[in-house]
Amino acid sequence: MSATADVTRTILPENDSIHEIAPGKIAIWWFLASEIMVFGALMGVFVLFSFSHDFAADGAHVKWRLGAFNTLVLVTSSLTMIMALASARKHNLTQTRMFLLATVLLGFVFLGVKGFEYTTEIREGFTPATGMFWSFYFGMTGLHGLHVIGGIVVNLVLLVAALSRKPWDFLERRIEFAGLYWHFVDVVWIFLFPLLYLT
Amino acid sequence: MSHGTLESVPADNESRLYVIVWALLVVLLIVGLAIFILPIPREAAVALIFAVAAVKATLVLRNYMHLKHEHLLIYIIVAVPALFLVGFAITLIPDIVFRHGG
Repeated sequence: MSATADVTRTILPENDSIHEIAPGKIAIWWFLASEIMVFGALMGVFVLFSFSHDFAADGAHVKWRLGAFNTLVLVTSSLTMIMALASARKHNLTQTRMFLLATVLLGFVFLGVKGFEYTTEIREGFTPATGMFWSFYFGMTGLHGLHVIGGIVVNLVLLVAALSRKPWDFLERRIEFAGLYWHFVDVVWIFLFPLLYLT
Repeated sequence: MSHGTLESVPADNESRLYVIVWALLVVLLIVGLAIFILPIPREAAVALIFAVAAVKATLVLRNYMHLKHEHLLIYIIVAVPALFLVGFAITLIPDIVFRHGG
């Protein structure tokens, strides 16, 4: 047993429920905590700058209907992701694969719509250099889009693992952890959408 | 109650719960859009839209991320950066609002 584990077990008795938390789960929540700082700081600065800059005029040019559609897409992908976990827990390989594939496809739909939005906005003359609002808009949605790409890559790896019939214990844990990340990306969008499109 | 394990999530009817949560999220999306479209005073509309967003985020955190079954340690891990952000915003308000404002 490592020295760290010895110290932990000295502080916390063996029967404390903290020992039931999988180490990987603590790690993924720790990572998400750092992500809260990144996105929270950006959103906080955006809100504070909105007091001294007229963001409403620029905000009127974003495509809120496409943003709403993308919200529906991402919320639905959260459902398919959690259904993949539920299917893995039931050891239903066909459903696990189907829901993982659906989550990946919905991620691509989200990116496709976002790409269409970017193209339209840039053609209309709105670029990150246009002004403060557009710098925030492209910066925050771009960073979020990179996180969606990261989630798609992880889910594709899991889909390949499911197709190659990896053991259930392997799949369940990893789908759970990948799901935590994917749902967090959904939560970020739940706040980004009203911040950039509706206010 | 066990914490932080897949087994801690009730298996019975969990798929039905997930679909109900999704339906609620869609309804709340429509509510948010209705607030945006309807002629509601801007300040009130912004407050309502973010209240709806907070409810949506809570639904995802509690049900899809299983936060309602998690150990106190996980809550602490999430709460610390959230509190840092509140402090960060409070610290910046005087500078941005009063120095650059107006």
